[in-house]
Amino acid sequence: MGSEREAAIPEWASEPCIMGIDEAGRGPVLGPMVYGCLYCARSYQNTLSSLNFADSKTLKEEKREELFENLKADESIGWAVDVIDPRELSAKMLKKSKINLNEISHDSAMGLVTKVLNMGVLLTEVYVDTVGDAEKYRAKLSDRFPSVKFVVAKKADSLYPVVSGASIVAKVTRDRALREWVLEETAEDLHKDFGSGYPGDPNTKAWLEHHKHFVFGFPSLVRFSWGTCTPYFKDIAEVLWESDEMDEDGSSTANGKRQMKLSSFGVTTSKRKIEEIESSGKGRCKFFLARKLEQVTQF
Amino acid sequence: MEQGTQGNIVVRRHGREESQVDEERVVDLSGQVHLLPCSIKFNGPSNVSQYFKPKPTGIESEGLRTQEACFRGRKLQGASISVPDGYSGFVLGKKSLGKRNLSDNSDGSSNRWEMNAKYKSITYWNHDSLPSQDDAFLRCFHWLSVAKSMHKPATAEDLVSAAAALEKMN
Repeated sequence: MGSEREAAIPEWASEPCIMGIDEAGRGPVLGPMVYGCLYCARSYQNTLSSLNFADSKTLKEEKREELFENLKADESIGWAVDVIDPRELSAKMLKKSKINLNEISHDSAMGLVTKVLNMGVLLTEVYVDTVGDAEKYRAKLSDRFPSVKFVVAKKADSLYPVVSGASIVAKVTRDRALREWVLEETAEDLHKDFGSGYPGDPNTKAWLEHHKHFVFGFPSLVRFSWGTCTPYFKDIAEVLWESDEMDEDGSSTANGKRQMKLSSFGVTTSKRKIEEIESSGKGRCKFFLARKLEQVTQF
Repeated sequence: MEQGTQGNIVVRRHGREESQVDEERVVDLSGQVHLLPCSIKFNGPSNVSQYFKPKPTGIESEGLRTQEACFRGRKLQGASISVPDGYSGFVLGKKSLGKRNLSDNSDGSSNRWEMNAKYKSITYWNHDSLPSQDDAFLRCFHWLSVAKSMHKPATAEDLVSAAAALEKMN
């Protein structure tokens, strides 16, 4: 999270304020997801409407950049962003107890509300685009922040100027983050022409195809938890996780069973045995059982 | 032994006699050996260091300095462990059955393994949980001290004190 106006709390912040929250980069298979918010005094609402923020998606990139610079310079407006790294998205969605994208989105939005309230801004109304069921989301938000009135609506970014503004903040931040992205991986043949990151974009498809790695899958810019990745994983080395053993369904159950416990103190066995042996210490005394220590006499 | 195969390990490279000097030239992979909580269905070389980038977290957990990395989108938390004193880690490869070995293996029931590299430290990784002394991998090492005590010859003093303790109990 970051904002350029963190230090000084403007005077108008103690008046009743409104805030809009919107997201950019929820759909793409790569790059960060960004939550942005924009807030101002309720009395500034009319002026805000005249600033011609429209839903960020309907604007050209240069126009969005220009509007972002304008709103940053506007002292009657405050803003903040939460940039969620693709590594964090993948990791959370692939945890043993998986966190879905809606939950991650809700947490991010609530994080922004918390942040702005903690800065001392008197938020009275917050407008949010819906994620999942609108009413449930509204109830969750109201429960968490009883002093704030929440309006959760579909297409909030085109209905409320304060949300349109937030969508510009989010979209410009995501585009910049992607443009300036430094790939963590250091293989020589990597490049950054990944297009928009949307699964249908031909540049994105070509980039994914080119950056597919037999062992590592993809660079960590890619959200491994996205369905878009699944077809690519068919062509690369299969990976079985110890943590998936318990809750896999269908086809993977068979695989789970064949999984080798790498904590075995024994030596890697022949190919046939990797498939069949699970080091468990089964049949041995408790000491060995607890340590999954198996006696290996043949290898 | 039933239908299984028996094996032997040659802790020498290329199966030939080597001088002390050669022995020291064995590739040392300390710090580059990783134990992942998954099985990768692939055996072979890969550009690991270009893709797998462990970072220290600065967080200490039960005396273990933890590291963070990701693999296939999953977050891994790990720690580097020294192989206990008196022990060594070896990377073994199955010895290819060249012509000159045909006679040794004519019955086909024996695998020969040889050392390709050695290591004095290994990094093990958990998916989603901080490394802990309760991890099965770390607890494996308990066996080494248990085995040592069990196989240590008992001294006269040990016997006397054991007898005294027994007497007390009665």
